[in-house]
Amino acid sequence: MILQSLKIALESLWANKMRSILSMLGIIIGVGAVVAIVSVGTGSTQQVTSRIANLGANMITVSPRTPRGQGGTVSSVSSQDKFSLELTDYIEKFCPSVIKVIPVKQISGRLISDDINVNAAILGTNIDYAEVNNYEVAMGNFISENDDGERRQVMVLGSQLAENLFEDDNPIGKRIKVNYEGQVYMFDVIGVMKEKGGSMGGSLDDQAYIPLSVAMDKLTNSDYVSSYIAQAASSEKASTAVNELKNFMVKFLDDEDQEQFRIFSQDEILDTVSSVTKTMSMMLGGIAAISLLVGGIGIMNIMLVSVTERTREIGVRKALGARNTHILFQFLMESLNLTSFGGILGIGFGWAVAYFLSQYGDWPMIIAPLSIGLAFGFALFIGIFFGLYPAMKAAKMNPVDALRYE
Amino acid sequence: MTKVIQIEQLEKTYYLGKVKVEALRGVSFEINTGDFVSIMGPSGSGKSTLMHIIGCLDYPTEGKYFLSGQDVSKLNDNQLALFRNQKIGFVFQQFNLLPKATILRNVELPLTYNNTNSKNKKRLAVQALEEVGLGDRLKHRPNEISGGEKQRVAVARALVNHPSIILADEPTGNLDSKTGQDIMNIIKKLHDDGNTIILVTHEAEIARYAKRVIHLKDGVIDRDEVIA
Repeated sequence: MILQSLKIALESLWANKMRSILSMLGIIIGVGAVVAIVSVGTGSTQQVTSRIANLGANMITVSPRTPRGQGGTVSSVSSQDKFSLELTDYIEKFCPSVIKVIPVKQISGRLISDDINVNAAILGTNIDYAEVNNYEVAMGNFISENDDGERRQVMVLGSQLAENLFEDDNPIGKRIKVNYEGQVYMFDVIGVMKEKGGSMGGSLDDQAYIPLSVAMDKLTNSDYVSSYIAQAASSEKASTAVNELKNFMVKFLDDEDQEQFRIFSQDEILDTVSSVTKTMSMMLGGIAAISLLVGGIGIMNIMLVSVTERTREIGVRKALGARNTHILFQFLMESLNLTSFGGILGIGFGWAVAYFLSQYGDWPMIIAPLSIGLAFGFALFIGIFFGLYPAMKAAKMNPVDALRYE
Repeated sequence: MTKVIQIEQLEKTYYLGKVKVEALRGVSFEINTGDFVSIMGPSGSGKSTLMHIIGCLDYPTEGKYFLSGQDVSKLNDNQLALFRNQKIGFVFQQFNLLPKATILRNVELPLTYNNTNSKNKKRLAVQALEEVGLGDRLKHRPNEISGGEKQRVAVARALVNHPSIILADEPTGNLDSKTGQDIMNIIKKLHDDGNTIILVTHEAEIARYAKRVIHLKDGVIDRDEVIA
């Protein structure tokens, strides 16, 4: 009987093509909007997430906080002279979620090539820095262990800095004078990094990199580093690592109020970004769902009109032997067909919109099967829910009155 | 001869707003298998109400109605639908064809509701249409044929299930006299083939095609006339 009702319903929808298409439009747009918005939401989130992750996976920066004084007196002891090189080993030992700690000594100085001079940040660090930052060499090499061990005065340039200093020349093998606090040091350029873009604390491309030992022993003659970069074992463990680091630093500095150090993680940005985009796509998805609901009300409207308009047809069908359930299923099938066809077309429509937007916005196109299933299921539900009342109205008609209807 | 219809003291009362209408006030008669009976009367005589009850579209308020020996007043909606489908063939004044369906589909419709398979459905429908001389118009739609042809389609539709009675309600009411005569000749031929025909009309001329005329007046039988 269901199959037969389906056939009758299809025939009558086909007979009223224009009306069928118009009433399907609401569902098409609703389903399409849900599919497209969810796709755009996940695609753009993934794009932003991967961009942030690209800046350095699971990186946590620990740095001393400049003590604040009140009324001209220094309130607390500066923690700067506690950020020693040895601390890196302690951190690695006491924070199990941290797999690597990279000390960084940051200074700023004047870099002078043959005829150009530039003020730039100079980072004293070791080989792990490039790896943790996902930072790749374009030409030459990054600082090696030997460079550090033997305190070689070698330098690796960020891409922008290399361009500023040497323009189109190949900088490898060139010598650079570094003027730091009145003293001049000579460095050999051994490498140029690939372009990378912004990160926490400015663009990596504008910086120069030298061995940590050179920065600490030769240039600054200091025992303390500027900051540590800690790498968490995985992105899932990043927040655990942050907590471990916090606890460690609180104990080590005896700083209950966390006033003397600062911990900053990539993970926090990621959390913020993903929660923002999640909220956005939920909100837009909600709006799309409302439009689906409105489409459903449109279907009910059309079905009610259709039932009234076809009162006589219902009477004739009943006179020829149609049972109430025949009529019920016929009209239910009509609305169900409208919404399921609408749903299928809507999925196609949403797919197309998602595709074009992903091309335009340059993010990966991700169509979650769940969003398709959900939108289609919701469309079917709407077909039944909003089709039931008109169908019941049709089924309950008295055949005599229906036949008399003008 | 077997009695296809037995009606005993049939009464039907309904309300139009607050006005009580006694459409039928105790009607009794019997119709034998193979009869051709006209039910005649002016408007308001209760003939439409009687036709609705005979056609299993409506319940009587009082009295008994046996169709093929079954007490119709005891049937529920679904059983009534089955009776309408199998025992009664309707021919309406307004033709009542489905406008968007082809003629073939229109005639197939009663078969759809008793789950005849599609091969038999088509065969029976074509057969019925050939019987009324429309075997060549299967793919046409109702708006592409004349009024007389529409009524012939309706007759074919009434025939297709081989019903116990064919119930024609003013079948010529919407036709000119020439095509009306054609339709009446088809109905007469159906009677000659052994079908039981009940014709509801207010035109004496049409009523005289039957062998027997039941005259209704104010909800009761005024005269039961047998035509030689």
